[in-house]
Amino acid sequence: MTGPNLVRLAWRNLWRNTRRTLLTLVAISFGLLMAVLFTALQDRSFSDMIDLAARLHGGHVVVQHPEYLDSPTLDRSVQDAPAKLAAIRALPGVQAAVPRITGNVMVASARGSYGALFIAYDPALESPTTLSFLEGVQGDMLDSADGDGVVLGTRLAKNLGVGIGDKVVYTATDSTGEIVSGLARLRATVGTGAPSLDGALVLLPIESVRRVLGYTPGEVTRIAVFIDDSRNSPRVRDAVNATLTDGAVALTWDEVQPELNGFIAMKVGGARFMELVILILVSASIFNTLFVSVMERTREFGIMLAIGWTPRQVSGLIVLESVWLAISGIVLGAALTTPLYLYLKSHPIDVSAQFAADGAPMEIAGVGIAPVLQVGIFPESVVVIVCAIVLATLLSGLYPAWRAGRTVPVESIRLV
Amino acid sequence: MPKTLATFQNVTKTYKQGAVDVHALRGLDLEIHAGELTALVGPSGSGKTTALNMLGALDVPTTGRVTLEGTDLSTLSRKQLSALRRDRIGFVFQAYNLIPVLTAYENAESVLALQGVAPAERRQRVYALLEEMGLKGMEDRRPDQLSGGQQQRVAIARAIAANPAVVLADEPTANVDSETAEMLLDIMQRLNRERGVTFVFSTHDPRVVAHAQRVVRLVDGKVQSDERK
Ligand SMILES: Nc1ncnc2c1ncn2[C@@H]1O[C@H](COP(=O)(O)OP(=O)(O)OP(=O)(O)O)[C@@H](O)[C@H]1O
Ligand SMILES: [Mg+2]
Repeated sequence: MTGPNLVRLAWRNLWRNTRRTLLTLVAISFGLLMAVLFTALQDRSFSDMIDLAARLHGGHVVVQHPEYLDSPTLDRSVQDAPAKLAAIRALPGVQAAVPRITGNVMVASARGSYGALFIAYDPALESPTTLSFLEGVQGDMLDSADGDGVVLGTRLAKNLGVGIGDKVVYTATDSTGEIVSGLARLRATVGTGAPSLDGALVLLPIESVRRVLGYTPGEVTRIAVFIDDSRNSPRVRDAVNATLTDGAVALTWDEVQPELNGFIAMKVGGARFMELVILILVSASIFNTLFVSVMERTREFGIMLAIGWTPRQVSGLIVLESVWLAISGIVLGAALTTPLYLYLKSHPIDVSAQFAADGAPMEIAGVGIAPVLQVGIFPESVVVIVCAIVLATLLSGLYPAWRAGRTVPVESIRLV
Repeated sequence: MPKTLATFQNVTKTYKQGAVDVHALRGLDLEIHAGELTALVGPSGSGKTTALNMLGALDVPTTGRVTLEGTDLSTLSRKQLSALRRDRIGFVFQAYNLIPVLTAYENAESVLALQGVAPAERRQRVYALLEEMGLKGMEDRRPDQLSGGQQQRVAIARAIAANPAVVLADEPTANVDSETAEMLLDIMQRLNRERGVTFVFSTHDPRVVAHAQRVVRLVDGKVQSDERK
């Protein structure tokens, strides 16, 4: 290599004031740690929430009647579900696609009657993947041979005063406006983590509901599409839409549940703000280090410029110092963050004690939030954080670098 | 007839200090000859440093002209001046000349590195030069592991490594004891004699003056006397 070895010189310069550099590195790595853990909590709880919401309300992508969203009545149904399902299942990224009929029912027992939300599903098709929002199952879930079974939310069963094996009557308004009803026997009770839902959830076998409602064999209110990664929802929605021809549209989970999406947007906004604050603190600390160190070295820069260094080389040296600072900070930060992250990933923090005060678990838009802090960061988030820190470091170094390059030798050398 | 290396032609330099004009140079006329060892002497404030800075293309006259090897320095761009300093001028300052994080060797080779001389050639030239300066075995020391005199010798090595047309030294011995000052002057004298390096230095020290072939006395920004031995 010809020319001065700026990279090596920059590295050595970094360690001229060990204490100051170490402090800065601690600031950068602490910033990285905070940003990663903070984002990891968010990423994880969002993907959990979205997932739960999607499973509960009918998938990451939902196919339904174009007007169902305006008013969810049973006459706004989708025809020919089997053909549509086959086309959707063939799409890349689709984990499962299942037919469902959902709507409002009145459930009655000897003790009383309650309004509820029913989800009629095909026990032969739905798996733990699509029904994983269910927890604490007491009894046996519906099976495909089961024509008159029903599963109720724990609270609803309690309110109705029914136990496993007891009979309930459900009543709904069919697509023609007629009041229709069916009789079913309680097979199991389930929880969802969301108290309001536990008090209003009814699961029924899809075939018996079709019969009761007078639906044709291929008729459903929605097709629920489950995908691997909720962030791909818009892409899958578009792909699904391309397979649809008549009387049905595909929507993403957030289009179906704008209130949940609004909440998430708010939280993401909060996270971005926190990340910005962290970034500004990190930048300020880097700027301070580089600026002070440049100001202390004016004589040296003056001599360098006098003997033939170009201003560009001197500025470049400072930029390289900031690059080293960024790299070292990120390496140290990664060394600090990784073990803590992995520990938290395998040992989620149980914060239910904090929530126990008001007695009820948290829920947002009918989606329960587990009172456990779990981490799980999206790879993109890591890339964004690292890039942000590198960029902040470089930007913080620009002004000091510019100042160093503009040193006037005659003036700086005179000050011995 | 000695060859003219540099000229000052009726050079003035006026600094503004608030409302007051400070006249550092008031019509300096001087010719520097190649191969000479010239001492600039004179009372404090007489303009020695100012003159050296102009010769070193670090400062510009208020009026008048400074030429180096026939080129009017005022006609050169910043970039050209920077290259000129790198290629044609060696600098030795009063003290703290060296980059603290570089070793003696790395400091001494730095001008050659800036010129893009290949590392192998740098190595060969700079090791020989440091040995000549009596610094053999100290190549890998950092400046803070060297005495003041040793640091100045490294600075001289750096200044002459690229064979400049002239080495400018502003009070190079002001920060060392008199014995070391003697030795530095001996070295400069030897380099001047044996390699024909042109030196211009400023000094207050009468013993240093004794080593010079030519002594130019400045008073109030003008040449008062100019003696050759
Ligand atoms: N940047 C400046 N601003 C204002 N005045 C200056 C500046 N540089 C030099 N001067 C003034 O110009 C005059 C000449 O200064 P110069 O440094 O050339 O003198 P000198 O002969 O080198 O003195 P010394 O022996 O003390 O080093 C002095 O009066 C000095 O105060
Ligand atoms: Mg001076």
